[in-house]
Amino acid sequence: MKEYYLGIDVGSVSTNLVVIDEACEVHYSAYIRTNGQPLDSVKKGIREMKNSLPSDIKIKGVGSTGSGRQLIGVMVGADVIKNEITAHATATAHVVPDVRTIFEIGGQDSKIIIIENQMVVDFAMNTVCAAGTGSFLDHQSERLGIPIEEFGAMALTANRDVRIAGRCTVFAESDMIAKQQFGFSKAEIIKGLCEALVRNYINNLGRGKRLEPPFVFQGGVAANIGIKTAFEKEINHEVIIPKHHNIMGAIGSAILAKEYIEESGAKTNFRGFEAADLDFEPSTFECGGCSNNCEIIKVEMDKRVVAMWGDRCGKWTNL
Amino acid sequence: MKVSFPYMGTTVVYKKLLELLGHDVIMPPKPSQRTINLGVKYSPEFACFPLKVIMGSYFEAIEKGAEVIITSGGHGPCRAGFYEQVHQRILKEEGLPAKFMVFNSMFRDFNNFYDNIITLKGKNSWLKVSRSLLLVYNMTKKLDKLEKQVQTIRAYEVKKGETTRAWEKIQDLFDRAYTKKELEGAYAEGKKLLDDIKLIEVPEEKKLRIGIVGEIYVVMESSINMKMEELLGNLGAEVERSQYLSQWITYNAIPSFINKTHETEILEKGGRYLPIQIGGHAKQTIGHIVDYSERGFDGVVHLMPFGCLPELVSQSIVPKITEELGIPVLTLAIDEQMGTANNTTRIEAFIDLIKGKRAKKIS
Ligand code: SF4
Ligand code: SF4
Repeated sequence: MKEYYLGIDVGSVSTNLVVIDEACEVHYSAYIRTNGQPLDSVKKGIREMKNSLPSDIKIKGVGSTGSGRQLIGVMVGADVIKNEITAHATATAHVVPDVRTIFEIGGQDSKIIIIENQMVVDFAMNTVCAAGTGSFLDHQSERLGIPIEEFGAMALTANRDVRIAGRCTVFAESDMIAKQQFGFSKAEIIKGLCEALVRNYINNLGRGKRLEPPFVFQGGVAANIGIKTAFEKEINHEVIIPKHHNIMGAIGSAILAKEYIEESGAKTNFRGFEAADLDFEPSTFECGGCSNNCEIIKVEMDKRVVAMWGDRCGKWTNL
Repeated sequence: MKVSFPYMGTTVVYKKLLELLGHDVIMPPKPSQRTINLGVKYSPEFACFPLKVIMGSYFEAIEKGAEVIITSGGHGPCRAGFYEQVHQRILKEEGLPAKFMVFNSMFRDFNNFYDNIITLKGKNSWLKVSRSLLLVYNMTKKLDKLEKQVQTIRAYEVKKGETTRAWEKIQDLFDRAYTKKELEGAYAEGKKLLDDIKLIEVPEEKKLRIGIVGEIYVVMESSINMKMEELLGNLGAEVERSQYLSQWITYNAIPSFINKTHETEILEKGGRYLPIQIGGHAKQTIGHIVDYSERGFDGVVHLMPFGCLPELVSQSIVPKITEELGIPVLTLAIDEQMGTANNTTRIEAFIDLIKGKRAKKIS
């Protein structure tokens, strides 16, 4: 019987599940829209996974990452709960061992990770400005009436360069309309938008950092060939896109779980595929203990409190 | 007269001094979301974050009956130099006129310093005043000593939260001490509390040490910096702050020709990267990063209040220092959205980065 490791990445937009084997090869992966319901999306993911994997499969360890890592970690019984930066870097260093710079652009956020000798030496995260993330493109694709999937290929057909001010989504929009009136084609506008996004991203996250090749580009937006091309133009160097570019976080957390289990010899905390059927109830309440009025998140399993967080004073967490 | 002061760090000390001089002290509440909301509401939008929080603090102190607010003047040319004018004017506009008493370093403006002292002295004899000052100074030193122990052992406590609880108790003990003898007693008892905490054995080479630097208010006041010291401690790192009250007093109240303080040294170290004083604590920030690097710390967390120009400058110098000295630095912007999950992610990733550097791999 083969042994496997499960990695779960719960973000605000998507939830990814990945199963890897001992050689860190991906055996199964699934992508589910989170829709603001991390618990339900993971439950759904686990059910689907159970149905598509052989029944005698043995999960030896589980890792969780992403903004919902804590909650999901408690629910499935994760052995390792890790932040997104570490998870992403782990996965990338596994596929491209000599990677120096990781560009990661997702739907709602983006990050840059600088690596030296397989160690993270610097990183930055953008979580406030939409202009450097996938949602910038989603927005414009809607305006132009061109599905986002066709965006990249279309950008490549552009004949001329057009510079679109992309400092911020609002500016980009009005500038885009202006450029359309100047007679630039949709393809050219799209190319301009891709370049604006990349410029923004580099200005925002790359500031003060030395960007060295090999460059790896991952995250949902890496599927967009237009952005890849724009990156290559901006940094004047080839950019590698890993095969599993959009599930790197989940792969990384699975690898971290594997390393942890191997090093510690521990038995996994995984609750099994039945985790999908557990009566798992998160709720929030406001603590009136002081004028902070913290919103406390309480998670109950079968009516028993299994975790609490969100307090500023430790009153609930340390219970 | 009913006096109050901005809430920052171990407030028992200011309270004590004023009480010893026979004043009626109104303790401002520890900054909470309400304080911040009040501050944000009444301050100019583009003001830096500390100005806003302190503004909120004053509103709360006045609600509780404060008539006079005692504060220290800041270093120009940044906004700290006109803090009290802004605060005073806003309070006045809101119909809450409070008297301000601003202490600047006595070396800069002795007359003003003297006038303030006379007002505070009231009918007390000079002997009483100097005794009180001495007691409070000793208290600060003792508290800082215990706090440093807190910052070390928190990383290794067996029972989560035990050290923090002990530290709260210690501040309470000191709050009840009014004489030299009581102070000694409080110290001994506090020390014992800390010594009794059970710790996990961690081999020396596995210990992590992180320095916290930045603008004084966000560094000193845990309620607005996501409890950075606790957060790092819980992740297994010992911490040290760039600012402690006793150091501040030594630097501002003892002439430098008889007392080459730690801060003078720090400023010299900072001068390598930032030759001039640009206000706030930018030069200290830089100096402390250099200092922590020389002392073999594993990393530095740099706290930058939103809207703070001096720290924005120091942030831009950080990459150069990291490149030359190799010390990892994480800059975090502190604003009214306290304790965001994103900053926790950054801190966790930063600790991983440091551990990975040790283990020579991503961990
Ligand atoms: S959890 Fe703690 S800090 Fe938050 S409101 Fe309750 S008592 Fe206050
Ligand atoms: S140092 Fe920064 S935060 Fe402090 S007063 Fe000056 S500008 Fe404001």
